[in-house]
Amino acid sequence: MSIRNNRRPYAPLLLAIAALAVAAALPGAAAAADKDKILIGATLPLTGAEARVGGFFKEGYDLAFEQVNKAGGLEVGGKKLPVQFLLLDDTSTQASAVSLADRLVNSDRVDFLLGTYASHLVEAQSTVAEQNRVPYVNGGGGATKIYKRKFKYLFGLISPVELLGGTLMQWIDEQQKAGKLPKPAKIALVWENTAHGKDFRKGISDFSQKSGGAYPILVDESFELNARDFGALLGKVKAAGVDLFLVDAHLPDYITMHRQYVANGMCHKVVSYGARGGEKDAVQALGQENVNCVLSGVWWSAQLGTRPGPSQEFVKAFKAKYGGREPEWFQALAYESARVLFTAIQQAGKVDREAVRAKLAAMKVPSLLPGGTVEFKAEFGQQAQNSFVLQQNQPDGASPIIFPKDVASAAGVAPNPRCAK
Amino acid sequence: MTFSWPPLVPRWAVAAFVLVVAALAVAPAALDLSIYSRNLVTLAFLMISGALAWNWMGGFVGQVSFGHAALFGVGGFVAARLMLMEPPAPAPLAWLVGGLAAGVFSLGAHPMLRLRGPYFSIATIGVGEAARLLFTYWEDFTGGSSGLSLPIDMEMKDRLYFWGLGLAALVVAASFLIRRSTLGLQLLAIKADVDAAADVGVNATFNQDLVFALSAVVVGITGGLYAAYFSFIEPGDMFGFDRSIAFVLMSVIGGVGTVLGPVLGAIVFVLLRQFLLASYPQLYLGLYGLLLVFIILFEPLGLTGLALRLAGAVRKRTRRAPRESLA
Amino acid sequence: MDRFVDLVVSAVLLAGLYATMAYGLGLIYGVLRVVNLAHGGVIMVGAYMGWILHGWLGLDPYLAIPLVVGATFLLGVVTYRVLVRHLPRGAAGGPASLLLLFGVWLVLRNAAYLLFSGNDQTIRTAYSTRAIPLLGSYVSVNRLAVLAIAVVTPVALHLLLKRTYLGRAIRAVAQNADSCTLVGIDVERIYTITFGLGTALAGLAGLLSATIFSFNPGFGSGELLKSFVVVVLGGLGSVFGTGIAALVLAVVEVFAILVLPSYLTAAVGFVMLVLVLVFRPGGLFGQRVLG
Repeated sequence: MSIRNNRRPYAPLLLAIAALAVAAALPGAAAAADKDKILIGATLPLTGAEARVGGFFKEGYDLAFEQVNKAGGLEVGGKKLPVQFLLLDDTSTQASAVSLADRLVNSDRVDFLLGTYASHLVEAQSTVAEQNRVPYVNGGGGATKIYKRKFKYLFGLISPVELLGGTLMQWIDEQQKAGKLPKPAKIALVWENTAHGKDFRKGISDFSQKSGGAYPILVDESFELNARDFGALLGKVKAAGVDLFLVDAHLPDYITMHRQYVANGMCHKVVSYGARGGEKDAVQALGQENVNCVLSGVWWSAQLGTRPGPSQEFVKAFKAKYGGREPEWFQALAYESARVLFTAIQQAGKVDREAVRAKLAAMKVPSLLPGGTVEFKAEFGQQAQNSFVLQQNQPDGASPIIFPKDVASAAGVAPNPRCAK
Repeated sequence: MTFSWPPLVPRWAVAAFVLVVAALAVAPAALDLSIYSRNLVTLAFLMISGALAWNWMGGFVGQVSFGHAALFGVGGFVAARLMLMEPPAPAPLAWLVGGLAAGVFSLGAHPMLRLRGPYFSIATIGVGEAARLLFTYWEDFTGGSSGLSLPIDMEMKDRLYFWGLGLAALVVAASFLIRRSTLGLQLLAIKADVDAAADVGVNATFNQDLVFALSAVVVGITGGLYAAYFSFIEPGDMFGFDRSIAFVLMSVIGGVGTVLGPVLGAIVFVLLRQFLLASYPQLYLGLYGLLLVFIILFEPLGLTGLALRLAGAVRKRTRRAPRESLA
Repeated sequence: MDRFVDLVVSAVLLAGLYATMAYGLGLIYGVLRVVNLAHGGVIMVGAYMGWILHGWLGLDPYLAIPLVVGATFLLGVVTYRVLVRHLPRGAAGGPASLLLLFGVWLVLRNAAYLLFSGNDQTIRTAYSTRAIPLLGSYVSVNRLAVLAIAVVTPVALHLLLKRTYLGRAIRAVAQNADSCTLVGIDVERIYTITFGLGTALAGLAGLLSATIFSFNPGFGSGELLKSFVVVVLGGLGSVFGTGIAALVLAVVEVFAILVLPSYLTAAVGFVMLVLVLVFRPGGLFGQRVLG
């Protein structure tokens, strides 16, 4: 074994340089001198951990682009321009979300950006938009922290999860005042350790603090995403003897935890898994009898489409395009993000990032979101503050809206009748 | 321990190295690189540095670490914290301190260094995962699962190109120095047989500590630069198992244990990722997998080995292939 | 007191789960000295097999055991014959086998993505949420079944290893492959069978996990990491050690909630892994004999 023979490790160096040169020489697409179309870019997690929801968001975006192009495009400066959508897969990873956004802006030269899904991806990706001064409209990053950075080019249609916790507590408070729940009502608060979970926790605990002892939190625990076993955690909840079991979890953890919950013979007067509850997947995995009465809060529900308005039009169009399937909030928020961006472009009357940004910042238009209008107030870092709708699973498989009252189609049930048995 | 100047770095290689670095330094201006291409190259510089540093441990010493993300994360978060101070620390200082913090962290792994082969690898998985969980829980430091956002600095990415280039150049030079010095020989001895190395007077413990710490410092600095590049970091990503795996993949694809293979591996990794991801996202994992299987079975020196073979075939020389010491 | 019973029950059930996950990894390492990083991938494959059999043919997961075990056994045999056989043995082969099998895992994962997409899937049976009362606590029927399998498996393995010619050959090969060749044991054949058995055990673990958890193509990485911890605690290569180590890990993790925030209980296992490797490389019980 002699080291002296080792004389040609330079071959890879040369290869490496060649590869780098290729990378460097890859030209950015030439910018069109005169605009004959509007180019809008986005990435979505079409594979990886968030792939399921990424696919839903794609459906919403696709529908919005199809609609606008069927109508001949967007009217800008007196003529109609078609809108081209450039969608890439960020594989649910931050590094890809960032570098692909970089590519969309600096190589593909998109005019505007739509957002990806999941808070951590949006938080990472929006930095690229801000650095390059490209308006970025998203319906997938709900964590308040994203907007606390006071970015100028970032707009979020998705209300903070804190509000979900708050809305949940408001309804519970009404039940308590009506004498249906004990006072004080003891809470077990269990949240996934993500930005989503932390916001949920904050919403609940803020309400609890202001309630003057009506809602003491006895258990306050977090868990890791895709945790395998909740035996010990549920044991702690059980031992604490609480009335309200309030959880924030993604679908897989909801299924795993709730299976164990049911098998442990547990029951609480109010049960919620945050935004999860009546999903078909969950009902299939858990059985209808086990998800009855579970309370969930979402950003939008297809039931909002039962009365005339933007929601109804959206539901109709969506069903027509996707074989009669009902949209969930994911598709609605994606669709609405694209629509809001289109509106701003038309209002600005030109394909100009600054002008569109200004229009977005000043926007106040009718919307399919609960509350009926959307606006991006600077005080909230340009994050929409629409309310949530609460739904409750019924034995017949429906999950009617029970709160807020103006859109409710059924009265909520508390306490959970299952516990009485 | 004596550290002799590497005797066998030919002048033309030094000249070529200087030329390449100089060419890359003027490339953005001279070639009118698009911002996107430039950023991609910056990212490649960071990955090159990280992969080379991993290779010091995984290739030179033969201790395959599946836990380098812990060092990357420590470096990144310490640097980010320093850059977030009021007034903020100058970025280069923050990176350096981050790297040193990772170095100190690595010394904690000292007892693990007596483990060999798969035992060491499994232990590093344990450390990596424990670190991920602990740092995710340590909210005051890492911001917990919601991570840390750095202020947006418009010029940062321009400057990062040069910092990245500088770092990569330094690490390439260091790789040569380590390999061609007495230290490099001692590492090879340790890799071949740790007991026999000790018998002939190689201080295996000290050498491994030293190389591990050096590797950690570089990976830590890389983490800091990475944090500045992305302006937003969170523990799940920085400390993730996938990141540890990325270091391994880059080195193995490029040629584990070779001096410059990881450079090639890192570039291929970044480019593959970028271009495959855009066109065939559903295939890129499997492609890495096939590459790995192929490399392990047919070409243990990875792309470097392949390049050497090609070069050999082209020159039609019958000289013994220079692959000793790298098994 | 109730709480104590609850915790003990959860710990024992969890131990059953951990043990089934770890046996395959332990067996392969014990005989071949190969760390099977594809273990997590096979767990995922087992889960999907169960899902297909249940969803398409309506076959109960527990009745599907022979099919899944058989199929994954073949998968293991093929993996060994085509790939693992060509690796160098001993210390030098360590990193190479890790990387090779990691590559296999990536390919499996990608194949699953292409076939089934990234969506989370579940298997639901009539007993998925059924429980029986026990000492004032409740025990999930499903998990109880998993526990039973976790107990039966090492006994069966033990009998196989002690009572049959094949088993004696496997033990002999585990102890000294070279002298086995001398006395006429076909070492390659033993390696093939063992790798197949280990893979089949991983497939079984995947099938059982699928009755409890939701899964997607990325499923198995958490299981692999836990299996590492269990196998290392138990002493690499000891089947009963693996079972007991699973119990130790489960008890420590479950009872850690009394002193630690729930989120950190997952880290306890990894810390134990490192400590045991460094200070007791032979495992908690210090035994290295297969069986």
